[in-house]
Amino acid sequence: MANHQQAAFEQQPMWAGGRSPFNVSYGKLMMWLFLLSDAFTFSSLLVQYGAQRFSNVQTPIVTKWPDPASIFNHFPFMHGLHLPLLFVSVMTFILIMSSVTMVLAVEAGHRKSKKEVVRYMIYTIIGGAMFLGCQAWEWSVFIGEGATLYGNQFGITEAGQKVFGALGFGDHFEWQPEYRTAGPVPFAALFFIVTGFHGFHVFSGVIINVVVTIMAARGAFDRRGHYEMIEKAGLYWHFVDLVWVFVFTFFYLI
Amino acid sequence: MEFYTKPGEYDAINYIPPAESHGTKELWRTFWILLGITVLDFIIYFVMPHTGFRNFIFIFFGIVKAYYIVGAFMHMKYEKINLALIILVPTIFIIGLVMGLLYEGNALTYAK
Repeated sequence: MANHQQAAFEQQPMWAGGRSPFNVSYGKLMMWLFLLSDAFTFSSLLVQYGAQRFSNVQTPIVTKWPDPASIFNHFPFMHGLHLPLLFVSVMTFILIMSSVTMVLAVEAGHRKSKKEVVRYMIYTIIGGAMFLGCQAWEWSVFIGEGATLYGNQFGITEAGQKVFGALGFGDHFEWQPEYRTAGPVPFAALFFIVTGFHGFHVFSGVIINVVVTIMAARGAFDRRGHYEMIEKAGLYWHFVDLVWVFVFTFFYLI
Repeated sequence: MEFYTKPGEYDAINYIPPAESHGTKELWRTFWILLGITVLDFIIYFVMPHTGFRNFIFIFFGIVKAYYIVGAFMHMKYEKINLALIILVPTIFIIGLVMGLLYEGNALTYAK
Protein backbone atom coordinates (compact mmCIF):
# COMPACT_ATOMS: atom_id res chain seq x y z
CA MET A 1 0.00 0.00 0.00
CA ALA A 2 2.65 2.49 1.07
CA ASN A 3 4.99 1.44 -1.73
CA HIS A 4 2.18 1.69 -4.25
CA GLN A 5 1.48 5.22 -3.01
CA GLN A 6 5.16 6.16 -3.17
CA ALA A 7 5.52 4.86 -6.72
CA ALA A 8 2.41 6.77 -7.80
CA PHE A 9 3.74 9.88 -6.06
CA GLU A 10 7.08 9.76 -7.80
CA GLN A 11 5.45 9.25 -11.21
CA GLN A 12 3.54 12.52 -10.99
CA PRO A 13 5.10 15.43 -12.89
CA MET A 14 6.61 17.84 -10.39
CA TRP A 15 4.88 21.13 -11.14
CA ALA A 16 1.65 19.87 -12.75
CA GLY A 17 -0.35 19.55 -9.55
CA GLY A 18 -1.36 16.39 -7.73
CA ARG A 19 1.87 16.17 -5.76
CA SER A 20 4.00 18.33 -3.55
CA PRO A 21 6.92 19.73 -5.55
CA PHE A 22 8.72 20.11 -2.22
CA ASN A 23 8.54 16.39 -1.40
CA VAL A 24 7.01 17.08 2.03
CA SER A 25 3.50 16.73 3.34
CA TYR A 26 1.14 19.68 3.50
CA GLY A 27 1.51 20.05 7.27
CA LYS A 28 5.28 20.11 7.23
CA LEU A 29 5.40 22.63 4.38
CA MET A 30 3.02 24.90 6.28
CA MET A 31 5.15 24.58 9.41
CA TRP A 32 8.21 25.67 7.42
CA LEU A 33 6.33 28.65 6.00
CA PHE A 34 5.07 29.59 9.46
CA LEU A 35 8.64 29.47 10.72
CA LEU A 36 9.72 31.72 7.86
CA SER A 37 7.09 34.29 8.83
CA ASP A 38 8.10 33.92 12.48
CA ALA A 39 11.71 34.52 11.45
CA PHE A 40 10.57 37.83 9.95
CA THR A 41 8.79 38.69 13.21
CA PHE A 42 11.90 38.12 15.29
CA SER A 43 14.09 39.83 12.72
CA SER A 44 11.95 42.94 12.88
CA LEU A 45 12.33 42.99 16.67
CA LEU A 46 16.08 42.42 16.53
CA VAL A 47 16.54 44.98 13.76
CA GLN A 48 14.67 47.50 15.86
CA TYR A 49 16.96 46.66 18.78
CA GLY A 50 20.01 47.18 16.56
CA ALA A 51 18.78 50.53 15.24
CA GLN A 52 17.93 51.79 18.74
CA ARG A 53 21.26 50.67 20.09
CA PHE A 54 23.22 52.23 17.25
CA SER A 55 21.36 55.49 17.76
CA ASN A 56 22.80 55.65 21.30
CA VAL A 57 26.38 54.89 20.44
CA GLN A 58 29.15 57.38 19.95
CA THR A 59 32.48 56.01 18.93
CA PRO A 60 34.95 55.24 20.39
CA ILE A 61 33.15 54.54 23.68
CA VAL A 62 29.55 53.64 24.35
CA THR A 63 28.08 56.69 25.95
CA LYS A 64 24.38 56.23 26.58
CA TRP A 65 23.59 52.58 25.96
CA PRO A 66 24.29 50.55 29.12
CA ASP A 67 26.97 47.87 28.94
CA PRO A 68 25.14 44.50 29.25
CA ALA A 69 28.09 42.98 31.15
CA SER A 70 27.57 45.45 34.00
CA ILE A 71 23.88 44.60 34.34
CA PHE A 72 23.34 40.92 33.53
CA ASN A 73 26.07 39.72 35.87
CA HIS A 74 24.10 37.73 38.45
CA PHE A 75 24.01 34.04 39.16
CA PRO A 76 21.64 32.21 41.53
CA PHE A 77 23.06 31.67 45.04
CA MET A 78 26.14 33.77 44.16
CA HIS A 79 24.96 37.04 45.56
CA GLY A 80 27.18 40.09 45.09
CA LEU A 81 29.62 38.50 42.68
CA HIS A 82 30.32 39.93 39.22
CA LEU A 83 29.62 37.01 36.87
CA PRO A 84 28.64 38.30 33.44
CA LEU A 85 27.43 35.87 30.76
CA LEU A 86 27.63 32.81 33.00
CA PHE A 87 23.91 32.45 33.69
CA VAL A 88 22.85 32.99 30.06
CA SER A 89 25.47 30.48 28.96
CA VAL A 90 23.86 27.94 31.28
CA MET A 91 20.46 28.82 29.76
CA THR A 92 21.92 28.39 26.25
CA PHE A 93 23.30 25.00 27.23
CA ILE A 94 19.88 23.93 28.58
CA LEU A 95 18.18 24.96 25.33
CA ILE A 96 20.79 23.25 23.10
CA MET A 97 20.48 20.10 25.21
CA SER A 98 16.67 20.11 24.91
CA SER A 99 17.08 20.57 21.14
CA VAL A 100 19.23 17.43 21.06
CA THR A 101 16.68 15.38 23.00
CA MET A 102 13.99 16.70 20.63
CA VAL A 103 15.91 15.62 17.55
CA LEU A 104 16.53 12.21 19.18
CA ALA A 105 12.75 11.93 19.66
CA VAL A 106 12.25 12.73 15.95
CA GLU A 107 14.84 10.08 15.03
CA ALA A 108 13.10 7.54 17.30
CA GLY A 109 9.84 8.49 15.56
CA HIS A 110 11.36 7.58 12.19
CA ARG A 111 11.99 4.12 13.63
CA LYS A 112 8.41 4.13 15.07
CA SER A 113 9.72 3.40 18.56
CA LYS A 114 6.98 4.76 20.78
CA LYS A 115 8.78 4.19 24.07
CA GLU A 116 11.88 6.13 23.03
CA VAL A 117 9.82 8.97 21.54
CA VAL A 118 7.94 9.47 24.80
CA ARG A 119 11.12 9.29 26.87
CA TYR A 120 13.01 11.86 24.80
CA MET A 121 9.96 14.12 24.58
CA ILE A 122 9.74 14.15 28.38
CA TYR A 123 13.43 15.18 28.56
CA THR A 124 12.67 17.96 26.07
CA ILE A 125 9.74 19.23 28.11
CA ILE A 126 11.90 19.27 31.26
CA GLY A 127 14.57 21.25 29.40
CA GLY A 128 12.01 23.79 28.18
CA ALA A 129 10.56 24.19 31.67
CA MET A 130 14.06 24.69 33.12
CA PHE A 131 14.78 27.37 30.54
CA LEU A 132 11.54 29.18 31.40
CA GLY A 133 12.44 29.05 35.09
CA CYS A 134 15.86 30.57 34.36
CA GLN A 135 14.26 33.32 32.33
CA ALA A 136 11.79 34.11 35.10
CA TRP A 137 14.71 34.45 37.53
CA GLU A 138 16.59 36.70 35.10
CA TRP A 139 13.54 38.94 34.68
CA SER A 140 12.86 39.16 38.39
CA VAL A 141 16.45 40.28 39.08
CA PHE A 142 16.32 42.86 36.29
CA ILE A 143 12.94 44.18 37.49
CA GLY A 144 14.24 44.23 41.05
CA GLU A 145 16.99 46.60 39.93
CA GLY A 146 14.43 49.09 38.68
CA ALA A 147 13.85 48.21 35.03
CA THR A 148 10.33 48.61 33.70
CA LEU A 149 8.73 48.53 30.28
CA TYR A 150 8.51 52.34 30.30
CA GLY A 151 11.74 53.28 32.00
CA ASN A 152 15.34 52.35 32.44
CA GLN A 153 17.38 53.09 35.53
CA PHE A 154 20.66 52.31 33.78
CA GLY A 155 21.31 55.66 32.18
CA ILE A 156 24.87 56.83 32.77
CA THR A 157 25.73 60.31 34.06
CA GLU A 158 28.75 62.33 32.90
CA ALA A 159 30.72 61.32 36.01
CA GLY A 160 29.87 57.70 35.21
CA GLN A 161 30.93 58.12 31.60
CA LYS A 162 34.36 59.31 32.70
CA VAL A 163 34.76 56.28 34.97
CA PHE A 164 33.43 53.95 32.27
CA GLY A 165 35.76 55.38 29.65
CA ALA A 166 38.78 54.97 31.94
CA LEU A 167 38.10 51.29 32.65
CA GLY A 168 40.80 48.88 31.57
CA PHE A 169 40.01 45.56 29.93
CA GLY A 170 38.61 43.12 32.49
CA ASP A 171 37.61 45.83 35.00
CA HIS A 172 33.95 45.97 35.68
CA PHE A 173 31.74 48.99 35.99
CA GLU A 174 29.90 49.43 39.30
CA TRP A 175 26.60 51.27 39.23
CA GLN A 176 27.20 53.80 42.02
CA PRO A 177 24.14 56.00 42.69
CA GLU A 178 25.93 59.09 41.35
CA TYR A 179 26.54 57.37 38.00
CA ARG A 180 22.89 56.47 37.53
CA THR A 181 20.20 58.44 35.83
CA ALA A 182 17.20 57.72 33.60
CA GLY A 183 18.60 56.02 30.52
CA PRO A 184 17.40 55.14 27.03
CA VAL A 185 13.94 53.59 27.48
CA PRO A 186 14.34 51.09 24.59
CA PHE A 187 17.10 49.28 26.48
CA ALA A 188 14.74 47.82 29.09
CA ALA A 189 11.65 47.86 26.87
CA LEU A 190 13.29 45.89 24.06
CA PHE A 191 14.87 43.47 26.52
CA PHE A 192 11.43 42.67 27.92
CA ILE A 193 9.74 42.58 24.52
CA VAL A 194 12.30 40.41 22.72
CA THR A 195 13.14 37.98 25.52
CA GLY A 196 9.45 37.96 26.49
CA PHE A 197 8.43 37.14 22.94
CA HIS A 198 11.03 34.40 22.81
CA GLY A 199 9.99 33.11 26.23
CA PHE A 200 6.38 32.99 25.08
CA HIS A 201 7.50 30.91 22.10
CA VAL A 202 9.30 28.55 24.48
CA PHE A 203 6.15 28.38 26.61
CA SER A 204 3.93 27.54 23.64
CA GLY A 205 6.58 25.06 22.46
CA VAL A 206 6.40 23.30 25.83
CA ILE A 207 2.59 23.16 25.55
CA ILE A 208 2.82 21.72 22.01
CA ASN A 209 5.40 19.18 23.22
CA VAL A 210 3.16 18.13 26.13
CA VAL A 211 0.23 17.64 23.74
CA VAL A 212 2.19 15.55 21.21
CA THR A 213 3.81 13.53 24.01
CA ILE A 214 0.40 12.62 25.41
CA MET A 215 -0.78 11.75 21.90
CA ALA A 216 2.32 9.59 21.34
CA ALA A 217 1.95 7.86 24.71
CA ARG A 218 -1.68 7.03 23.92
CA GLY A 219 -0.64 5.49 20.62
CA ALA A 220 -2.28 8.04 18.32
CA PHE A 221 0.73 8.07 15.98
CA ASP A 222 0.97 4.29 15.90
CA ARG A 223 -2.63 4.16 14.71
CA ARG A 224 -1.85 6.88 12.17
CA GLY A 225 1.14 4.91 10.93
CA HIS A 226 3.72 7.69 11.12
CA TYR A 227 5.27 10.06 13.67
CA GLU A 228 5.25 13.16 11.50
CA MET A 229 3.61 15.25 14.21
CA ILE A 230 6.77 14.85 16.32
CA GLU A 231 8.78 16.19 13.36
CA LYS A 232 6.54 19.25 13.08
CA ALA A 233 6.74 19.96 16.80
CA GLY A 234 10.49 19.43 16.48
CA LEU A 235 10.80 22.02 13.71
CA TYR A 236 9.10 24.56 15.93
CA TRP A 237 11.29 23.68 18.92
CA HIS A 238 14.52 23.98 16.91
CA PHE A 239 13.36 27.32 15.58
CA VAL A 240 12.97 28.55 19.17
CA ASP A 241 16.54 27.40 19.82
CA LEU A 242 17.68 29.18 16.66
CA VAL A 243 16.10 32.45 17.77
CA TRP A 244 17.79 32.13 21.15
CA VAL A 245 21.18 31.88 19.40
CA PHE A 246 20.61 35.38 18.01
CA VAL A 247 19.03 36.81 21.17
CA PHE A 248 22.05 35.51 23.10
CA THR A 249 24.43 37.07 20.56
CA PHE A 250 22.82 40.50 20.34
CA PHE A 251 21.62 41.04 23.91
CA TYR A 252 24.43 39.51 25.94
CA LEU A 253 27.58 38.99 23.86
CA ILE A 254 27.68 42.24 21.92
CA MET B 1 -9.65 13.45 7.18
CA GLU B 2 -11.55 11.87 4.34
CA PHE B 3 -10.97 13.01 0.81
CA TYR B 4 -12.41 11.56 -2.35
CA THR B 5 -9.93 8.78 -2.84
CA LYS B 6 -10.70 5.10 -3.21
CA PRO B 7 -8.66 2.73 -1.03
CA GLY B 8 -5.37 1.82 -2.71
CA GLU B 9 -5.55 4.72 -5.12
CA TYR B 10 -2.86 7.41 -5.06
CA ASP B 11 -3.93 10.06 -2.55
CA ALA B 12 -2.28 13.37 -3.36
CA ILE B 13 -3.54 15.20 -0.30
CA ASN B 14 -2.95 12.77 2.54
CA TYR B 15 0.20 11.19 1.13
CA ILE B 16 3.24 11.67 3.36
CA PRO B 17 6.66 10.96 1.84
CA PRO B 18 8.33 8.23 3.92
CA ALA B 19 10.76 9.44 6.57
CA GLU B 20 13.98 7.56 7.14
CA SER B 21 16.32 7.67 10.08
CA HIS B 22 19.81 9.00 9.41
CA GLY B 23 21.10 7.67 12.72
CA THR B 24 22.10 9.59 15.80
CA LYS B 25 25.82 9.94 15.05
CA GLU B 26 25.49 13.18 13.09
CA LEU B 27 23.11 14.62 15.69
CA TRP B 28 25.57 14.12 18.52
CA ARG B 29 28.38 15.54 16.37
CA THR B 30 26.23 18.64 15.77
CA PHE B 31 25.59 18.90 19.50
CA TRP B 32 29.33 18.91 20.25
CA ILE B 33 29.94 21.53 17.56
CA LEU B 34 27.20 23.79 18.98
CA LEU B 35 28.48 23.33 22.52
CA GLY B 36 32.06 23.97 21.39
CA ILE B 37 31.11 27.22 19.64
CA THR B 38 29.16 28.37 22.71
CA VAL B 39 32.16 27.65 24.95
CA LEU B 40 34.37 29.51 22.45
CA ASP B 41 31.94 32.47 22.62
CA PHE B 42 32.31 32.41 26.39
CA ILE B 43 36.12 32.32 26.25
CA ILE B 44 36.43 35.06 23.63
CA TYR B 45 34.11 37.27 25.69
CA PHE B 46 36.60 37.27 28.55
CA VAL B 47 39.83 37.16 26.58
CA MET B 48 39.29 39.78 23.88
CA PRO B 49 38.57 43.47 24.46
CA HIS B 50 35.22 44.79 23.25
CA THR B 51 35.85 45.83 19.65
CA GLY B 52 34.02 45.73 16.35
CA PHE B 53 36.11 42.72 15.38
CA ARG B 54 34.93 40.82 18.45
CA ASN B 55 31.32 41.64 17.55
CA PHE B 56 31.99 40.37 14.03
CA ILE B 57 33.30 37.07 15.46
CA PHE B 58 30.18 36.67 17.63
CA ILE B 59 27.84 37.32 14.69
CA PHE B 60 29.84 34.93 12.50
CA PHE B 61 29.62 32.24 15.21
CA GLY B 62 25.86 32.90 15.47
CA ILE B 63 25.48 32.25 11.74
CA VAL B 64 27.57 29.06 12.00
CA LYS B 65 25.34 27.85 14.86
CA ALA B 66 22.26 28.71 12.78
CA TYR B 67 23.67 26.66 9.88
CA TYR B 68 24.08 23.59 12.08
CA ILE B 69 20.69 23.95 13.77
CA VAL B 70 18.82 24.40 10.48
CA GLY B 71 20.91 21.93 8.50
CA ALA B 72 21.19 19.00 10.88
CA PHE B 73 18.51 19.45 13.55
CA MET B 74 15.79 20.71 11.24
CA HIS B 75 16.85 18.26 8.50
CA MET B 76 17.21 20.99 5.89
CA LYS B 77 20.23 19.17 4.42
CA TYR B 78 18.02 16.22 3.51
CA GLU B 79 15.11 18.22 2.12
CA LYS B 80 14.61 18.85 -1.56
CA ILE B 81 16.42 21.93 -2.87
CA ASN B 82 13.03 23.49 -3.81
CA LEU B 83 12.02 23.62 -0.16
CA ALA B 84 15.41 24.86 1.02
CA LEU B 85 15.31 27.72 -1.47
CA ILE B 86 11.82 29.03 -0.65
CA ILE B 87 12.78 29.13 3.04
CA LEU B 88 16.33 30.44 2.81
CA VAL B 89 16.21 32.93 -0.07
CA PRO B 90 13.71 35.38 1.54
CA THR B 91 15.91 35.65 4.65
CA ILE B 92 18.58 37.33 2.49
CA PHE B 93 16.43 40.46 2.56
CA ILE B 94 16.75 40.57 6.35
CA ILE B 95 20.49 41.17 5.96
CA GLY B 96 19.79 44.21 3.78
CA LEU B 97 17.32 45.54 6.35
CA VAL B 98 19.82 45.08 9.17
CA MET B 99 22.57 46.91 7.28
CA GLY B 100 20.25 49.78 6.34
CA LEU B 101 18.73 50.30 9.76
CA LEU B 102 22.03 50.10 11.64
CA TYR B 103 23.40 52.79 9.36
CA GLU B 104 20.31 54.97 9.81
CA GLY B 105 20.26 54.35 13.56
CA ASN B 106 23.85 55.47 13.87
CA ALA B 107 23.05 58.63 11.90
CA LEU B 108 20.28 59.36 14.45
CA THR B 109 22.89 59.61 17.24
CA TYR B 110 24.07 62.89 15.83
CA ALA B 111 20.60 64.10 14.91
CA LYS B 112 19.12 64.01 18.41
